[in-house]
Amino acid sequence: MTLLDAVIFLPLVAFFFILLIPKDNLDSIRRFSLVASTAVFLASLGLIAPYWFANPGKFVFETDLPWINSPAIRYHVAIDGISLWLVLLTTLLTPLCVLVSWRSVQKRVKEFFAFLLLLEFGLIGVFCALDFFLFYVFWEVSLVPMYFLIGIWGHERRIYAAVKFFLYTFAASMLMLVAIIYIYNQAGTFDYSRILAGLQNGSIAPTYQEQLLLFLAFFIAFAVKVPIFPLHTWLPDAHVEAPTAGSVMLASVMLKMGTYGLLRFCVPMFPAAARNCSGWIVALAIIGIIYGALVAMVQPNMKKLVAYSSVSHLGFVVLGIFSFTQQGFDGAVYQMLNHGVSTGALFLIVGFLYDRRHSLEISAYGGVATPAPAIATVFMITMLASMGLPMLNGFVSEFLVLQGTALVDFRWAVFAALGSILAACYMLWLYQRVFFGKASAEVSGLKDLLPREYVISIPLIILMVWMGTFPQSFIPSISTSTAVILGPVDAKRDVHVRNALPVKPAAPGASLAKEIADAR
Amino acid sequence: MNLWLIPIFPLAGFLINGFFGRRMSRTLINLVAVGSVALSFAWVVKTLLGLAPLETKYIEHYFTWIQSGALQIGADFAVDRLTAVMLMVVTGVGLLIHIYSIGYMEHEGGYYRFFAYLNLFMFFMLVLVLAQNYLVLFVGWEGVGLCSYLLIGFYFLEQYATTAGNKAFIVNRIGDFGFSLAMFMIFRQFGSLDFTKVFDGAKSMPSEAGYGTLTVITLLLLVGATGKSAQIPLYVWLPDAMAGPTPVSALIHAATMVTAGVYMTARSAVLFTHAPISMDFVAIIGLATAVVAATIGLAQTDIKKVFAYSTVSQLGYMFLGLGVGAFSAGVFHLMTHAFFKALLFLGAGAVIHGLHGEQDLRQMGGLFKHMRITAITLLCASFAISGFPFTSGFFSKDAILVAAYERAPWMYWVGVITAGMTAFYVFRAWFLAFTGDYRGHAHPHESPLVMTGPLMLLAALSLFGGFIDIPRWLEPMFAEKPENQTLAWVSAGVGVAGILLAYVFYVAKRGLADSFAKAMNGFYTLVLNKYYVDEIYGALVVRPLVAISRVVLWRGLDAGLIDGTVNGVGARARGVGGILRLLQSGNIRTYAAWVVLGSILVLIAIGFVGGAR
Amino acid sequence: MPVNFAPSATDYLRFLPEIIMIVVGTLIMVLEPLLGSNKRSAFSSLTLLGFIAALVAAVAANNDPGASFSNMLIVDGFATFFRVLVIGVGILTVLSSSQYLRREHADAAEYYALLLFSVSGQCVMATANELIMIFIGLEISSIATYILAGYLRDDKRNNEAALKYFLLGSFATAFLLYGIAWIYGTAGSTNLEDIRHFLIAGSGSGRSLVLAGTAAALMFVGFAFKVSAAPFQIWAPDVYQGAPAPVTLFMSAGPKAAAFAVFIRVFTTAFGSIETRWEPFVWSSALLTMVIGNFAALTQTNIKRMLAYSSIAHAGYVMVAVAAHSQIGVAAAMFYLAAYAFMNIGAFAVVTHFSRQGEKFVNIEDLSGLGWKQPGTAALFSIFLLSLVGIPLTGGFFGKFYIFKAALDANLRWLSILGLLNSAVAAYYYLRVIVVMYMQEPTDSTVTLEPLSPGIRTTLYAAALGTLILGIFPSLLLNFATRSSVLVK
Repeated sequence: MTLLDAVIFLPLVAFFFILLIPKDNLDSIRRFSLVASTAVFLASLGLIAPYWFANPGKFVFETDLPWINSPAIRYHVAIDGISLWLVLLTTLLTPLCVLVSWRSVQKRVKEFFAFLLLLEFGLIGVFCALDFFLFYVFWEVSLVPMYFLIGIWGHERRIYAAVKFFLYTFAASMLMLVAIIYIYNQAGTFDYSRILAGLQNGSIAPTYQEQLLLFLAFFIAFAVKVPIFPLHTWLPDAHVEAPTAGSVMLASVMLKMGTYGLLRFCVPMFPAAARNCSGWIVALAIIGIIYGALVAMVQPNMKKLVAYSSVSHLGFVVLGIFSFTQQGFDGAVYQMLNHGVSTGALFLIVGFLYDRRHSLEISAYGGVATPAPAIATVFMITMLASMGLPMLNGFVSEFLVLQGTALVDFRWAVFAALGSILAACYMLWLYQRVFFGKASAEVSGLKDLLPREYVISIPLIILMVWMGTFPQSFIPSISTSTAVILGPVDAKRDVHVRNALPVKPAAPGASLAKEIADAR
Repeated sequence: MNLWLIPIFPLAGFLINGFFGRRMSRTLINLVAVGSVALSFAWVVKTLLGLAPLETKYIEHYFTWIQSGALQIGADFAVDRLTAVMLMVVTGVGLLIHIYSIGYMEHEGGYYRFFAYLNLFMFFMLVLVLAQNYLVLFVGWEGVGLCSYLLIGFYFLEQYATTAGNKAFIVNRIGDFGFSLAMFMIFRQFGSLDFTKVFDGAKSMPSEAGYGTLTVITLLLLVGATGKSAQIPLYVWLPDAMAGPTPVSALIHAATMVTAGVYMTARSAVLFTHAPISMDFVAIIGLATAVVAATIGLAQTDIKKVFAYSTVSQLGYMFLGLGVGAFSAGVFHLMTHAFFKALLFLGAGAVIHGLHGEQDLRQMGGLFKHMRITAITLLCASFAISGFPFTSGFFSKDAILVAAYERAPWMYWVGVITAGMTAFYVFRAWFLAFTGDYRGHAHPHESPLVMTGPLMLLAALSLFGGFIDIPRWLEPMFAEKPENQTLAWVSAGVGVAGILLAYVFYVAKRGLADSFAKAMNGFYTLVLNKYYVDEIYGALVVRPLVAISRVVLWRGLDAGLIDGTVNGVGARARGVGGILRLLQSGNIRTYAAWVVLGSILVLIAIGFVGGAR
Repeated sequence: MPVNFAPSATDYLRFLPEIIMIVVGTLIMVLEPLLGSNKRSAFSSLTLLGFIAALVAAVAANNDPGASFSNMLIVDGFATFFRVLVIGVGILTVLSSSQYLRREHADAAEYYALLLFSVSGQCVMATANELIMIFIGLEISSIATYILAGYLRDDKRNNEAALKYFLLGSFATAFLLYGIAWIYGTAGSTNLEDIRHFLIAGSGSGRSLVLAGTAAALMFVGFAFKVSAAPFQIWAPDVYQGAPAPVTLFMSAGPKAAAFAVFIRVFTTAFGSIETRWEPFVWSSALLTMVIGNFAALTQTNIKRMLAYSSIAHAGYVMVAVAAHSQIGVAAAMFYLAAYAFMNIGAFAVVTHFSRQGEKFVNIEDLSGLGWKQPGTAALFSIFLLSLVGIPLTGGFFGKFYIFKAALDANLRWLSILGLLNSAVAAYYYLRVIVVMYMQEPTDSTVTLEPLSPGIRTTLYAAALGTLILGIFPSLLLNFATRSSVLVK
């Protein structure tokens, strides 16, 4: 029983507690869920300790208990530098979601907060599970509460969105299930570390054909969650229809399940397949970056706009992972966190606006800066963060990802970097249309940030500045863990190697094409 | 030496005014804003005196900013002679403009916001010039862009202002795109972004090996520079940027930020000198910009627009200098330009202030008797920019032109003609504003001392600033270029000619200008409409992009094809279900028939055909 | 071996559960005229007692397993597993029937008697080690079920269902009987072990193989019909929809499980050696069953009919396990049938509770807003539905997981992939019910809903408990299943 187990199961316990509270007792339900989620967050802060003091490259807070004896399924959880921050992201955002839903959720309050905590349980579990079966269990468990959150508390087309969301991910995860079972039948265990070791020392030796198929099975399941173009169309619908809290958890945490899976499972387990597919995947990632940005630019609906921008941002993560460089990996993980913080904040603020104006259409706003300067400021900072402005979080990760990519193939970086121009386009245009100009009659009445909303926004703002200015308080712990994964798949184009080589006269393109050719 | 204090003061000012300004009295705001800049100016002076004579670079390392694998970026500041010049210019001119703003903005709303942004700008600009590696420089680079965006859109109730802000930010982003790619390439090549490491690496590179990569790198850097310093093809944002308050135009869009590109290029001199092709690009882009902007300036009627285009044109000069290898001359002109262009804008600001917001030259005239100090100081600035002998512009501009002659005589001659045009349109503006009789309806009045004081100081600097021998000061960094008196006098003469021509057109023989304009109508309308560049960009880039994104990508591909397929699969499945339903006729005879059919099937399959065997 | 026809005490002990049920059943028949109509409730309690006694007996019998009645019946883990299962189904059926019968004014004794007979027939099937016994058990079970299907004799739908079930059922049983005759003609025995040995020994001669294959085919028809596997699923939707809700509840769990028991026993024990002949066909039948079941269910508006198709689909999943034809395949099938019994009984119990007098409300739309009118019921229903979808921590998921594990063990890759994608399709129509319950506003159909009757409440709790326990601690059952899945010694 480690601290991690407590962090995982507290939300579940809280979930059952809420079920016991009489449903008309709204305030105690709200208060309890706030207290509970905050407690979880505070507890989870303790998880940082080992990385703060020692920074081991391996898993810590390990618990490995038998659950089902045959087939040998174990409750095996632990965290490393990658999962650690994702868990913290989850535990941080849950209380904020409770706060943002404080007043905006009026019907079926009890069920809402219950599902929110159940969701937290599932999400935390996904990032900690080191047993494939357990991982799959958490993966699916997190699906159900989100389905209800969208379907019950969403907007007009909520049912369509909810069912679409569920089926999309469920169908894809079926492939993953097949792959998991298949691996089990070869390895005789569901244990991640043992399977990984087996695959690396050859005691589990699927043919390349099998590796490729297994890789693709996992990849598709994760790609839908990320989402990678062209599997992304569930996302805009889900986001637009979901309640604010739902959108936040969906964008900030759930999408990371996909990228986390890619990094934790796809790449290290099937390096050969990953390397050989990387060309295609990178292409998809870059398409996603540019395509997402362009489509975001023309959205008439704020949430849709942010949703498509997520497609663009997550493209950077995938790009970083499949560059197979230290910078790419670190950047990818850091980008996951940054996107979690800044896009989460964006959705929260859009939620604030919705609570006031009851519309998500950009055209319904304009001149908000006059009645609500504080909201305007918070949104401005968040927008700049997600545009990747230096000294705010987004910049560091995008820089690392692009730098890592550029080391592998400069042309990739060129195309991906276009994304940052387009990001400026859609964000600034959105800001201008929503906050600038003369306030119309309906808008000029809007209230500025309430105390509760200050409590929600300020931590995130501080985090953005902190993560952008002192990224070294996060990256070392990430690096040590990504380095472990990188080892076998390293693109071997890291700079210390490059400097050893004689400086190449030719333009980047040609020589690199060759390098990649003989790397494969 | 605690270099970090230099930018920290304005940052503190920004935080205080930004967070509490709304509840602070104006005097307090002024104190914080101006005080913080004064402090950092003082600290600059102290530092430079302490470090003098600054033969070698002085570096301070604070903490590791980003570290991943072999990539290590330190938060490092450094001072060398180039930085010293920039520091003096930025903090000095910045301070004057802050003081001036107290007077200029007194009737404006969002007072605290204005000064907060202004301080934030100072912070980023100082980070930019103090940076010891490309990434930290990039921090300042993007930061000043942000502040420019915020200040251009300061009057955010006005559509045109916010649009201009967006335009500035996005065009700059295009430049930054080039800059960041350059950084990636530099890191690929040298395994570091630290100036010292990179430049040593570049120096040690066997030339024939280096050219390819270095050319790519420098050209990408140039893209960044054209964005920030408003060069062709990315200059379009700067004229619109005049939507911001005039002190902003003076500080950001004349004196400091727009010269960041020049500074960055001079900073990367080592890389550029190893890439001759890029050097030519720099020179030609600079020259072209100088000419084009000057011609546009000839026809503008908005006083700020005139000076805006002249800024673009002068920046072109600086790039010409850099391009022909006269880095010191480029930086020299950067400094003098900071003096007289800031003065021009502040003067224009004083006029506008005195006319309650009137900016159209056609609505002015005969203001000399109403605002003498403004008029005289502006006159000094005009002489300086026209390269009138022994004014600051004379020295710096001619240093550039002489160097250009060394490179290629035709460059020199084009430059000289441009100088003539410059002199012409600047004095055109001056004569239209101050001579003749008043054509407007406001009640002109002179500005308070808080505004005219800085004007006078800057006037002195514009006149005599040329005697600060920047080229010699920078000699240890950049090779000195030869003097050539005759060429200098020729260009000066052309300048004077321009002045006289303006006098003839707008004082001696009025109306000559209009008839002249009619005479060559085509060219006139062309330059009046800035060669329709904005329209062309709009038609070729912006509108198509938006249209394609909306119609093809979103409605067509996303909602249409992809989502259509997804939903199609669902519909297909239900369709299959519908067909299966038909089997359920409910009629028992059919069912029996099915059973028989099935049984026969099974019998054949298992009984006779058998399985694998 | 020397056959001793005088049955010993152990024989009777091993046969005790069936005896108990038959006796109680008959007793009820006898008592009915004696008791006044006000004592009707006594019957249900009596039946319960009978079932419980039988349950105890069945468990006790497992303490000394072995053949009885000169090897006609055999009590082994496998048999016990299914005996307990079907008896359990019987108990839950009784619990969820009483209120329904009272509601329909049909609270008569024969209902319970028939139930007891049917279950006892299924127990015989589970224990039968010999084709004739199998046939007898099957008939006892079926005939009772036919009558139950038409139990409300004034109800048109009931009669139609019963008639269809009866005609087609006997039609299929004929095939089974014919198959038995054929194999007897070939192998000279109806004992599964003997047939097995004959086939292994005589597998050399192609002729006997063809004969055996044909016999297998004929019997396959019979069994496939009983488990409603394609292409013989055609009767199920109409019958399930037509029959009284509690009877449907019973049919979809008990007889199906028993039929699968004999199916598995016969095909693994007797025809194990000629698997290559029937395996491909079971394979394709499984796939066809899943596809037909799931896709047809997509468009259903009547919840009973939808669940009927879903039960066809689930039969398909079990067929996959059979197709794997391995010990873990058998274990998987056993586990799945248990899990399926729980979740499906739960679902039908809700339908029974909701349908009201004369089964007025059996459309999915009628359930709208149930989640807010009767949160408890809706929550339990959601558990069953999610289990049917195959969401982790429910028996449905683990069963499915284990079946496809077995399939992949047996290298049935494509069957597994297609099967799992099928369950993604299935997710759609199960979710639709949840959508209606939680995401639509209540209508009068839910507003007028009376609270749960104690019987149905018990059923629901039991079913939910079973579903969750099987999902979270599957080992409890799985170990037993695995141990007793060894059919061929």
